[in-house]
Amino acid sequence: MPEKKAFDEAFDGSGTARQHYRPLVSILESFTQSEIERRERLQKLSLMDQGITFTVYGEKEGTERIFPFDFVPRVIPAREWERLQAGLVQRVTALNLFILDVYQGQKCLKDRVIPPEIVLSRKEYKRELLNVIPPRQIFTHVVGTDIIRNDAGEYLVLEDNCRCPSGVSYVLENRNTLHRVFPEFFKYYPVRPIKDYPTLLLDTLLHAAPRFSEKPVVVILTPGMANSAYFEHSFLAREMGVVLVEGRDLIVEDNYVFMRTTRGKQKVDVIYRRVDDDFIDPLTFRRDSLLGVPGLMNVYREGNVGLANAPGAGVADDKSVYAFMPALIRYYLGEDALLPQVQTYLGARAQDFAYIRDHAHQLVIKTTGDSGGYGMLMGPFASKKEIEAYVGQMKKTPSNYIAQPLVELSAHPTYVDGKFEPRRVDLRPFILYGESIRVLPGGLTRVALRPGSYVVNSSQGGGSKDTWVLAAKGA
Amino acid sequence: MLSRVADALYWMGRYLERAENITRLLLVTEDFSSETQGLAEDLAQTAWKDMLAIFPSAQLTREITPFAPLSVPYLHAFFTDQTNAYSINFSIRKARENARSMREALTLEVFLALNEVFRSVEVYERKGMPDLPAFRDALGATHKGIFTVVGAIEHTSTRDEGWHFLKLGESFERSYRSALVLRTKLPALLAAEARGDAPLYYTQWRTLLRGLSSLENYRRVYGARLEPNLVIGFLLFDADSPRSLRYGASIVRDYLAAISGLAELTAPARIIGKLHADLRYDDEAQMRRGDFAGLLDHVVGELAKTHDAIATQYFVT
Repeated sequence: MPEKKAFDEAFDGSGTARQHYRPLVSILESFTQSEIERRERLQKLSLMDQGITFTVYGEKEGTERIFPFDFVPRVIPAREWERLQAGLVQRVTALNLFILDVYQGQKCLKDRVIPPEIVLSRKEYKRELLNVIPPRQIFTHVVGTDIIRNDAGEYLVLEDNCRCPSGVSYVLENRNTLHRVFPEFFKYYPVRPIKDYPTLLLDTLLHAAPRFSEKPVVVILTPGMANSAYFEHSFLAREMGVVLVEGRDLIVEDNYVFMRTTRGKQKVDVIYRRVDDDFIDPLTFRRDSLLGVPGLMNVYREGNVGLANAPGAGVADDKSVYAFMPALIRYYLGEDALLPQVQTYLGARAQDFAYIRDHAHQLVIKTTGDSGGYGMLMGPFASKKEIEAYVGQMKKTPSNYIAQPLVELSAHPTYVDGKFEPRRVDLRPFILYGESIRVLPGGLTRVALRPGSYVVNSSQGGGSKDTWVLAAKGA
Repeated sequence: MLSRVADALYWMGRYLERAENITRLLLVTEDFSSETQGLAEDLAQTAWKDMLAIFPSAQLTREITPFAPLSVPYLHAFFTDQTNAYSINFSIRKARENARSMREALTLEVFLALNEVFRSVEVYERKGMPDLPAFRDALGATHKGIFTVVGAIEHTSTRDEGWHFLKLGESFERSYRSALVLRTKLPALLAAEARGDAPLYYTQWRTLLRGLSSLENYRRVYGARLEPNLVIGFLLFDADSPRSLRYGASIVRDYLAAISGLAELTAPARIIGKLHADLRYDDEAQMRRGDFAGLLDHVVGELAKTHDAIATQYFVT
């Protein structure tokens, strides 16, 4: 199904390739169909052989799938990227200041920039962490901000992921795969390299070490092999040369964290944790958690271990807080937001709730705590019955819901079933907050492989593309 | 190194070695079985039943049908059957599961090679094997696939603690399984001497050597003449053959020393050191006594104790 209203990334309204896509289109046109098919087969085989998979929940235990990769790269010109980058740096700066404020002083709540009940009622707000401030006051070491483009081609922020954003391993692997399978693509483009991400990430994590230490020991904490992002955890550990641990490998003694090794205990200074707050320490948060480390939060409170991202940071990526981001940017930085975002109705506000209820068929309604496309209602595509059931559910806890108008995601040529067709895409750039804030030049372009679909999540039939940020001329 | 990762590396080494041993034993037993089933079916049957003694908790899941080749239920059970804890499929799957749980501790080449052999065995399981030649082909390809993994480990891994744990697992499994093969087969072979059917008798000794991939190595030392006493001495006490029990004990001892450092004598190092000394210095007396069943029971028992001591020393924390 053609994407009628969507902004097309590669072609203008008359069907002519945009300037930055012209060399790519010419190269693709020079391939025969059978050559393209041969390369696509090679590419699929390469992903399977390398075990670049993700685990699907709700299926037979431990089902591994490859994350479908579409070989037509997304190209972002230098000037567009510069604007995006500036907007992301601004946003992450403000997000971090907001989290710091929430856990120390709560000035923004007193000044009513954001209603206190919105923040304090979130389950991501951890009252246990009030006045617990991480080293160098950085909460959000790794952020993945989801960006979409509306029908005018304008970049909009769709959501921020301040807890454990995943997908960066696919960004790096997609580039490797494309290099191997379609080396010709790179001949005419000054594509900015992304391979040093693990080095940048390690620098960022070392910066989170609690105090001066000659050689801080950094580990990645994974929930284990059954986690959907396990490949990424293992990939990053290998690329950074650090140890990948599970909760059971760590032990707390005398307010320090140690890992259990074949030679006894070894002290750990920084934990890049890919385990949610709720599961990180059964003594502080969920008591039934088997994934965490009992006593870890005490060590953190004492300042004896750095945690990235810092516990409690999730309060900033709540979908209700999102609605207040432009105001928060103005409040903390005295600037207007450089990146616009999608208009958002809050279930928590009576007049917004009434609007959502009456216009559910036009809106995308989301639960504030979920991610990955779970717990979402796509109003324009839902049946009356589904809408009624969803709204009925919503009435029970209105503050757990937000709604947004359906934004036409931009479309990008994608190779599906032997043909090039437009499919909707979004973009997740990765931002690292260490000594300074750095944005990886690229990101995960997710693509909805089903015709007409807006859902790009890997768990729900999405795929991904390599994302090229072009170097500025003369750079 | 994390105890959990050391544990996973040790078991990855064991499962890989086990998969290789099963593959080789299936190929060798199938050869023996097709060669002898017309002459002495009881011997062919015993050779297959021995598999159940070498891999004690293995079970046949397919019934033996009157006209089907004798080997089919065994090949099915030990190659593709996922439910049999001693099938190649199960062992490769477990090796990969262990590898996945500490992928960052392996080189990319090792994981890729293991993943490839895992996927090919998955295909054999899904498609099934229509006849014996198909089984042979698939077993041959799997054997090569396993050697590719072993080659990748040898050529790409840094010789750190992790490598030592992986090799410890591999060498332990090799010694333990060789001891079980000998304990299962030697008594019957020695008793069969009286039967007097010379060509068949020597085929069995040759098969024993092949089953422990030692036929060529034996010939290099003693020539083509198969003397039972020489074969026994070679498989038990040879200093250089990678599958002799003495060599196996020395390698396990060396990897343990590399892990703990020479200065420290750990509990597993004591047990394996003593066993190695028995095999190294008591060989002549053992050959004179001729109580090989007793000796093999002792070897199997000491190896089992070594494994337990390794787990307590390094993995249980």
